[in-house]
Order: sequence, then structure tokens, then C-alpha cells
Amino acid sequence: MSTNATLPPMQYVDASGNLVGMNVDLGNEIARRLCLKARYVNVQFEAQIPGLRNRRWDMIDTGLYFTTDRARVMQLIPYSVGALAVITNSGNPHGLKSLKDLSGAVVGVELGGIEERRAREISADLTKSGSKPSDIRVFNSYSDAFQALAASQIDAVLAGSAIGNYYAKRGQFAVPLGQVMAPAPAALATSDPAIAAAVVEALASMAADGTYQRIINQYGMTTIDKWDGYRGKIQYFYTP
Amino acid sequence: MNWSWHSFWDFLSSPYLLRGAWTTVWLTVAATAIGLLVGSAAALMKMAGNPLLRGVASFYVWLWRATPLLVQLMILYTGLPQIGIRLTVVECALIGFGLNEAAYLAEVIRAGIRSVDRGQVEAAKALGMNYAKTMRIVVLPQAARVIVPPLGNQFNGMLKISSLASVITMQELLRSAQQLAQLEFRVLEAYVAAAIYYIVLTTLWGEIQRRIEAALDRPFQVAASG
Repeated sequence: MSTNATLPPMQYVDASGNLVGMNVDLGNEIARRLCLKARYVNVQFEAQIPGLRNRRWDMIDTGLYFTTDRARVMQLIPYSVGALAVITNSGNPHGLKSLKDLSGAVVGVELGGIEERRAREISADLTKSGSKPSDIRVFNSYSDAFQALAASQIDAVLAGSAIGNYYAKRGQFAVPLGQVMAPAPAALATSDPAIAAAVVEALASMAADGTYQRIINQYGMTTIDKWDGYRGKIQYFYTP
Repeated sequence: MNWSWHSFWDFLSSPYLLRGAWTTVWLTVAATAIGLLVGSAAALMKMAGNPLLRGVASFYVWLWRATPLLVQLMILYTGLPQIGIRLTVVECALIGFGLNEAAYLAEVIRAGIRSVDRGQVEAAKALGMNYAKTMRIVVLPQAARVIVPPLGNQFNGMLKISSLASVITMQELLRSAQQLAQLEFRVLEAYVAAAIYYIVLTTLWGEIQRRIEAALDRPFQVAASG
């Protein structure tokens, strides 16, 4: 499985060097139920979808957002709901109160994620309404983006709400805007429908005995049944 | 998955990639210009009689060549704000690449100056020329012929290593290609297009360097035939 361990509490490396987080717990449990042992490749997000398509790994387990575009090139298994958040330094020094305030603001995102596209849409909307667009800065990973935020090189980071809340709880950053877009589910992605079917089965058994709900809730995320695209059971999406 | 000529031509003719290439070019030219200026000063200081000047220049060249460029860029961009020095992305790139280039060019320039026979400097002195005049009329025209080939190497390397600027969010050629690759995951097409841009840029530079070398050689050829 590929993961980008730069994003606490979803997937990150702890002080003793172990890979931990919600997606790691989830991946380990899925592998265990398939009588396998999970092996993780820690690689930046940008390389993950091409790597899956080239069979460098069997599954992406890094909180990839579900989109219909992506469901055309790989099997997607939505498993939890989260929104995007605008994250700033503590005390919200630029006084961001709505998306309009992102006009002229320097906004950091990770290369290739849905956040980058969303940031460009927000900026395009600002231009359309006659305001100055945002200055979007693209980083190799979210850890680089948050470092730049801490150094005040950028004004805000657009990232998942759970990540913002995690940092806010630790007093590192603030989350002035917590729900920037309609909840997009996070999904696992696989290279082969047979693998997708096996993973869905493992997730269904985890949901049946409560393991799935426990892992998702423990990290402040929401289970997939709250997604408006949910069709009564965990399933994979693939429409090439 | 197969090769798509359509995507490839799209990428190759994309104004987005062209803008990225332009950033790569101006960053390389600016960093080399800064490198030449600072590097010349450091080279002359390293060869000066004054031990303080020599010490400062030697320390600078040592420190910059002892640390990776990537670390220097991260210190400039995300480290220094911690102590109240906040530089823009462009300032970080110019200072980072310029000073790093200067440390290497200082050694290239020093080698060029040393290649000129000491007897010529003494002869110039005997003719009553001061230091500046000796450098300008006697030493530098000869040293330049020695300096240009390794300087060309540095410029060629800088064209490619400038891709490191993407880590401080500079929208240069490689970063632009990475973003195009994300659109439909036409990764091979995007990177091959970027590689072609790099090949064109380094080849163009090779031609420019050849002409500079020819121009510097001309006075010496006249002297030989006369």
C-alpha cells in the first residue's frame, strides 16, 4: 500500500519512527482480515496514482478523495467522510472569515490533490466576482506546506478538516473555516477489481463487528454512511 | 496504458510548460550573474595578501560547498522567518542559487587567474601598471579563455538543478510538468515533454558557449598569425 506519511492524524511517522494514524490502522486491519501482512510504501502523493497504475503497489491508503474522474482510472472504495478546511496560524492573523477573504491571500496546497483543484476553483470564483485571485502555492507534501505556514511564508493551507482540527487541538494552527466544500469521501484505491472486491469484503466484516466504526470515530472522522452517495453498503466504484 | 501522441503534443505546446521553462531560464541566468559577481570577488579575496580577506573568502567557499543546496533553500525559505527574516520566494531562489553558484565559480575563476604565468604580472608591474589595470589588460583576457569551459559546465548544471526551486513553490519547468502530469495521469508524456525542453535549453547554451569561446580566442589567433 502506498501512503504519504506527512499528515497527522491520518498517516504520519511518530517520535519513535513508526508509521501510525487512522489510515494505517485501517490498512493493517484490512490486510489482517485478508490473511495478509500490510507493507507500506511511504511516497509523496503526486507519485501514488501513477504508481498504482504501474502496479508498484496494490492499493493507495492515504485518504485519497473520491471523484468520478478518478473512478474512471482505478477502483475507488469510499470509506469515510471529511470536509476541507482553511487552516491559518494561531489567532487567524489575516482575519479570514469567509472564502471571499482568500482574495489576495497566499494559499498552500499539496501537489496533485483535490485541494489544489479546489483552491483554483475558489480563486477563479474570486476573479469572476471582480476580486483579486488567491496566490496558490504548490508544495511537494503537506508537511512542507505547514512548515511554510508556521514560517508565515504563506497565509493559509487548504487541507482536510480532521488535519486542521488535530493541529488546532495541539494549539499549533487555527481553523477559521472548517467546511469549505460539500463532504467528499476519502477512498481506498486499488489496481484490480478482484483486490477491490476483497477489500470491500474485509471492510464489510469490520463494519459488522464495529471495528470499522471504532477506527473512523477515534480520529474524528465520520463513517461513510453519512455520505449522500452512499448506497446502503460499502462498495467499490469503477466506471472506465 | 499506452503512449498518447495527442497528450504529448498538447504538453509540448502548452503555454503553461513554456512559462515554466522561461522561469527556469531567467532563474539560471540571474543565479549565474550573481554567481559571477560574488564569485569573482571571492576569488580575488582568496588570492589577496590580506589574511582577513583570504580567511573570509575561504570560509564562505568552504561553508557553501559543504552543505547541500536543498538545505540552503529550506533554511532561507522556512528557517529564517523563525528569527524574523522573511524573504520572498524569488529572493530565496536568487540568494540560494546565486550564492551557491558563486562558491563554485570562485574556484573556477581562481583557477583561471592562476593559469596566467606570474611573469606576465611582474612584467605588467615593471611597466608601471597598477593592480586593476594589470587584471583588466593582462590577466583577465587570458584567464577568461580558461574560465569559460568550466563556467559553461556550471551553467548547464544550473539549468537542470534549478528544478530544486520547486520545493519552495517556484513554478519552474519541472513543477509545471508535474502539474500537467496530474491532469489525466499522462505522466510519461509530461516528463518527456519537460525533458525535451531541458535538452533544447542545454543545447542552445552549448552553442552560445561555443561562440563565446571563439570570440575570446580571436585576439590570440591574430597574434599567432602575425
